[in-house]
Amino acid sequence: MVQVILIIGLMLMLLGIYGFMQSKNLLKIVIAFTLFNTGINIIMVSVGYLADAKAPILDKLPDLNEIPNMVDPVPQAMVLTAIVIGLGVTALMLSYVLKLHQEKRSLDINNFKDLKW
Amino acid sequence: MDYSLSRFLYTLLGLFIVMNWGMLMSSTMRRIIARVSGRIGIPWYQPWIDLIKLYSLRSQITHGTMFYLGPVFRLMGGVGLFLFMPMIYGSAYFMNYSFSGDLILILYFQFFGMLGMALGAGEGGQPYSAIGISRGLSQFTTIEVPMTLAVISLAIQYDTLSITEIVKAQQGSIANWTLFTNPFATIAAMLSLLGAFGHSPFNLVKAPNEIPIGPPTEYHGTFLGVLRTNGAILHVTEAALFMNLFFGGATSWLELILKTFVIYFWSVFVGVVFPRFRIEQSVRWFLKWPTLIGIISILIWM
Amino acid sequence: MVSPIYIIVIALGIAFSLGFFGKSKLNFAGILVFLGLLGMSFISGQWLFAFLNDTEVNTLIFTAGFQPPYSISLQMGLNEAVLTSMVNIAGLLGFVYLFRELTTKGIHLLMVYLVFVMSMNVSLMTRDLFNLFVFLEIETIALAGLILLINRKEAFQAGMKYLIASGIISGFLLIGIIMAYQSGGSLNIDDLILANSSIGKISAIAGFLILVAFVLELKPFPANGWGIDVYTAAHPGIGSLVSAAVATTGLYLLYKVLPIVGSQFNDYLVAIGAISFIGSNLMGTRQDNPNRLLGYSSVGQVGLLTIILGLAPSLGNQTLPIAFSILVSHFAAKAGLFWISGIIQSNHIKDWSGLRSSPTLMLLFGAFLLALIGFPPFPSFYGKWELLLTMGGNQQYTIVLIVLLGSFIEAIYLMKWLGYVIKIERVEIPRENLTLHKQIPIWIMGLVLFAMGFLMNRLNDYGASIDYLPLVFIFLLFVLDFLPVSFKNTLSIGGLLFYFIHLWEMVTDDLIRQIFLVIFLIGGILTFVAGYAQKGKRPGFYPTALLMYLGLAGIITAQGMFDFFYNWELMTVGSYFLIIRGKRSMPHAYSYMLFSIGGAYLLLAGFALAAASGAGEGLQALQSISILPEWVYGLLAVGFMSKTASLGLHIWLPGAHGEAESDVSPMVSAILLKAGVFGLVVLFLSIGMYNPSAERLLYVLGWVGALTTLMGNMSAAFQEDAKRLLAYSSVAQLGYILFAFTMMTQMAWLAGFTYTLNHFLFKAILFLIIGAIVVKLGTHNMYQMGGMIKKMPFSFIAVLVSIIVIGGIPPLSGFAGKWLFYNAILEKGWYFQGALIFFSGIVAFLYLFKLIYSVFLGQLKDNHRHMNEISAWVLIPSYLLIIGIMIFSAFPKEVLIPISDAIAPYFGNDALVWEGTKAVSHLGYWDGTTIAIVVGTAFMLILAWLIVLSAKAQKVEQFNIVFAAERPFRPETTHVSYNIYAGFHKAIGFLVTPLVTTFWNRMAEWTLDLAGWGRRIYSGSIQNYTIHVLFYIVVFYLLSMGGY
Repeated sequence: MVQVILIIGLMLMLLGIYGFMQSKNLLKIVIAFTLFNTGINIIMVSVGYLADAKAPILDKLPDLNEIPNMVDPVPQAMVLTAIVIGLGVTALMLSYVLKLHQEKRSLDINNFKDLKW
Repeated sequence: MDYSLSRFLYTLLGLFIVMNWGMLMSSTMRRIIARVSGRIGIPWYQPWIDLIKLYSLRSQITHGTMFYLGPVFRLMGGVGLFLFMPMIYGSAYFMNYSFSGDLILILYFQFFGMLGMALGAGEGGQPYSAIGISRGLSQFTTIEVPMTLAVISLAIQYDTLSITEIVKAQQGSIANWTLFTNPFATIAAMLSLLGAFGHSPFNLVKAPNEIPIGPPTEYHGTFLGVLRTNGAILHVTEAALFMNLFFGGATSWLELILKTFVIYFWSVFVGVVFPRFRIEQSVRWFLKWPTLIGIISILIWM
Repeated sequence: MVSPIYIIVIALGIAFSLGFFGKSKLNFAGILVFLGLLGMSFISGQWLFAFLNDTEVNTLIFTAGFQPPYSISLQMGLNEAVLTSMVNIAGLLGFVYLFRELTTKGIHLLMVYLVFVMSMNVSLMTRDLFNLFVFLEIETIALAGLILLINRKEAFQAGMKYLIASGIISGFLLIGIIMAYQSGGSLNIDDLILANSSIGKISAIAGFLILVAFVLELKPFPANGWGIDVYTAAHPGIGSLVSAAVATTGLYLLYKVLPIVGSQFNDYLVAIGAISFIGSNLMGTRQDNPNRLLGYSSVGQVGLLTIILGLAPSLGNQTLPIAFSILVSHFAAKAGLFWISGIIQSNHIKDWSGLRSSPTLMLLFGAFLLALIGFPPFPSFYGKWELLLTMGGNQQYTIVLIVLLGSFIEAIYLMKWLGYVIKIERVEIPRENLTLHKQIPIWIMGLVLFAMGFLMNRLNDYGASIDYLPLVFIFLLFVLDFLPVSFKNTLSIGGLLFYFIHLWEMVTDDLIRQIFLVIFLIGGILTFVAGYAQKGKRPGFYPTALLMYLGLAGIITAQGMFDFFYNWELMTVGSYFLIIRGKRSMPHAYSYMLFSIGGAYLLLAGFALAAASGAGEGLQALQSISILPEWVYGLLAVGFMSKTASLGLHIWLPGAHGEAESDVSPMVSAILLKAGVFGLVVLFLSIGMYNPSAERLLYVLGWVGALTTLMGNMSAAFQEDAKRLLAYSSVAQLGYILFAFTMMTQMAWLAGFTYTLNHFLFKAILFLIIGAIVVKLGTHNMYQMGGMIKKMPFSFIAVLVSIIVIGGIPPLSGFAGKWLFYNAILEKGWYFQGALIFFSGIVAFLYLFKLIYSVFLGQLKDNHRHMNEISAWVLIPSYLLIIGIMIFSAFPKEVLIPISDAIAPYFGNDALVWEGTKAVSHLGYWDGTTIAIVVGTAFMLILAWLIVLSAKAQKVEQFNIVFAAERPFRPETTHVSYNIYAGFHKAIGFLVTPLVTTFWNRMAEWTLDLAGWGRRIYSGSIQNYTIHVLFYIVVFYLLSMGGY
């Protein structure tokens, strides 16, 4: 099960990378980027996941022998943070796309090569 | 260091002999050249007549101080060479002032007169002078190459740069002459001599009929007289240098006269046979066989 | 002590409270932000102060009431204190600089700015890997926001590229972090380090991903198109922060995570740094957009720092000091340069010439560039020296090569830029940009640079050997630059004289050093005397000239390699600024500088290799080189020969000396060239007479010297430009000197010193006088002169004396040199080199005659008929020098005997025996005094005779001649000067085909072509840049972990 999630995550990530490379449309590139991010998030979650373990929700101090049987909460917390950051980056990217579109009335990435060499 | 009056007077006597011999030699050579070209030529006393005329001309002009000093430098060059050259081997007085410097001094003192003359003629403002000088300087660069090599070869051979010592080493027998002990150096030097004496095919500097007499074009009267005087001294002294280095030196004035005549005649002989080179031909010529022979002359001693 | 947590508190608190300000109170908001940044700087600054005074120790600050790993901890140690202080100062000054722009754009950018600075602070301090990631992302987002400060399409594109590329990089970082967590069981960096070092638990791939992400954050060449674009398009105020603060942070982060990864990547870091350092600088050579150029340079500098981080195992505890010295130079210089760029607002580096209207900015601009290249007295100089010497000591020669090559390539474009700014036609900068709040940050950064240089100097082991007082004097002259020439001239002469007397005591028992000290400083005073003839203020002349003399004096008194090299570089800088003053000097000063820097780097390489022998860093260590001695000696010799302009390295000289100002030419020709000679003297004396490991080298150098002489003299003969003729003559004379010293016998060294002294004397005279004449007549071309003897008789006599000395004609001192030379060559047995030398000696007559004839003799031109003698201020030093020549000529013994004694310990004392005034060698003899008496007497007698005979000669003008059957009416047609050696050229002119010039031109072309070809990877396409990043990761992976 964990492997499946891991593989899905990896696939999503690779799909995202493929997306950046292949797509000429800026919006699609942004979408590819979010795919890439989502893939990474899934990978992270899968790393912390333990099959058949308890959720790390505590209402009292846990027994010491229960702890190994709990899912590690840290990756999940990290993923939450990563999602938030990803959101921020995506939002900023979209606003950049907007700016770029206002400038040239185009979303084709080949039109934005003014800076080179 | 001998600054005595007697040395001074003997040196003056030697200078007087050399000058007169030089004039006689030049008229003789001119007669020889004339005979070769089917003319009779000048009387043997012509140089003296010329000299008297030049020194007694009444009106003269000068183009400025350096122009005026040019002949002085030039004559100083000739006289200086004479002063620093041991003329008669074994004679206490006709060694002149050669104790002040060795062969290197002689080689570099040649430039003293040349430079002064070049500057004097330069102030004359005559284009022919400048052309003649530029040719002379160009040609002289390569003339000196075989000569330098020969001198180096001699220095290796005799392990000295003192002319007196070199002459001393050649005493005793004709077989001791450098001519026989170091033939390659002698050949290189004698080829170089052709250029130094400035006869055809290397008479580019004065180049008669082309740049009428080159550097001294503007000189006349007393100035030319001084230059002529120098010419007479210089020819003998330079020939004496070759005599000292390659032909056993001279132990008497007679020997000196004979040997310098033959050495000088060598350049005249070549001169009447070959026509004049162009400047680039002349410059290159010395870098070919003469230089090669000079290099061989060093290699055999290394 | 205020806890560093308040840095975050202040930043966040103010950022949030800014929301209360409407659009009306933006200025007030701006001031609040300024106060916040000031507070943050204060906090980091007080920690730094405490650490420097040893009143604090490394402190961990825990958050959220738990100990790590259950919470995030911040660390405040010396490193963090230094770096946060740097970041906060950059942030504070950058804010001052951008105050107008940020406050007019609304409060959002103010917030973003604060968060940006804060994010760097936190990522520097945090000990939690994931926290590090978070703040790195915050930094990225904030920066992307700040890029929008400029409303231009290029900025939008750059920001987009930046976001995408850093998004990908942080994706990989995230994977790396989670894997590290999985294998190491903690997110705390210290725990992870422990886990890695004790049990090797961190999985290799995790380490790799973390490392590659932090490496990519540094924008390594060639996967950095996105980063370069940010530099290009963002507001220069932002660019300065990226270059100064972000790069600083990024480097420290790499340093911080490196232990997690372990040391197996160190070699790769060195390789990555090397590629970046060399590659990025190479790309910079073709760049003319200032911001982009600075970007390339930043990447290059970061590459150098990456190399240093990678070298940590071999540098040991020197790593951080070395890295800091280079980092702080980069930090201050780049921030300053970007800020200047914001004032100039142009897309072309040529437009920076407007800086000349502001001397302060001009000074700082020069300082920034020189600091980047690594000149003293800036901190990077100390860092590079320490780095190279340590590397040389460890026999890691590849590193030495890489560092020097990269630095040289960087110098190529930075010096080109400097030349443009100094020389090119002035483009005015927008006045409204020259406000105080834009300039103050630049001033402060300049101050930081100088202060850090001073600090490095004091902290350095060698610091004590460097005297700062003369530098202060030079600075004083810079401040007094508004005063008239005569005052500054007197002050300079006084300074030199004082310094001469001061230094004389240090060299009293060392004649060789005394000789050079006299040449350098007394020569300097004499050339300064000629400066009284100059009009106006000569802005910048005196500080630079004194800088050169300071360096020159310094190399004489130097005891160790360090102070020798330090002063060598000072001299190089000073002389560069002197040379570039000439009207058409820009390209020549540029090539001078490149050859000088190249030469200096060869010296540095030589010293570095010498360190391998472990004999210490004193100059006497050169005597006991056991490892690669031929290389050490060869590198040093070629380094010095770049200064003496030996064949192959000479192409800068004719232009540099020929086009320099009239009194600068003698300084650089008669005096400066002797620095190279002094270096060779020191080197050869260290090598010693019988050193089998240097025999082959000396033999080759001997031939180089001989060929240099021939090439120099022949080229001089074909010049039409009087000063270039003299310049080529210098090349030739230095060839003689090199040749003499390579023979390594007492006789040869006597000849060498005779030539050195003579060249100093006559070349100073010639350049002084010809330089003044060139200025007076308004032309360099000799064929346009002529007949000056009547107008300038004193000049003529001086020149005449000089050329008699050069020609080696008895009775003047030049003949002493020739005579010694002949003897030395025959003794040594170098017959063919010797023959070549004498051949060139005769070729010299060609140019000597051409010079004196074309200028002074021949026909006077109509437009020069009103001319009169040149200034007495030029004649006075010339005639003083002539007195020197005359003394040397008449009493050679008095000079030669002390020199013989001085070099006797090295070569024995059997060259000359003196009998009275007569010098007797093994081969011949020569009596300078008698020759002078004999020649003088005879000359006077002949002159008297002629005067008696032709007293009444009538004076006429040169023009009174008949030529080619006509009376010429224009002097020009009868002044035979142009190309007078045409026949000679036709015969053997092929010998001076400019093969060397062609060679170097080709090298330059190829370098630029390579750069032009290489930079095509920066196609401008986002996708390409993404591919570069991925490709970089893959290749790096394959090379480092793929078993290749």
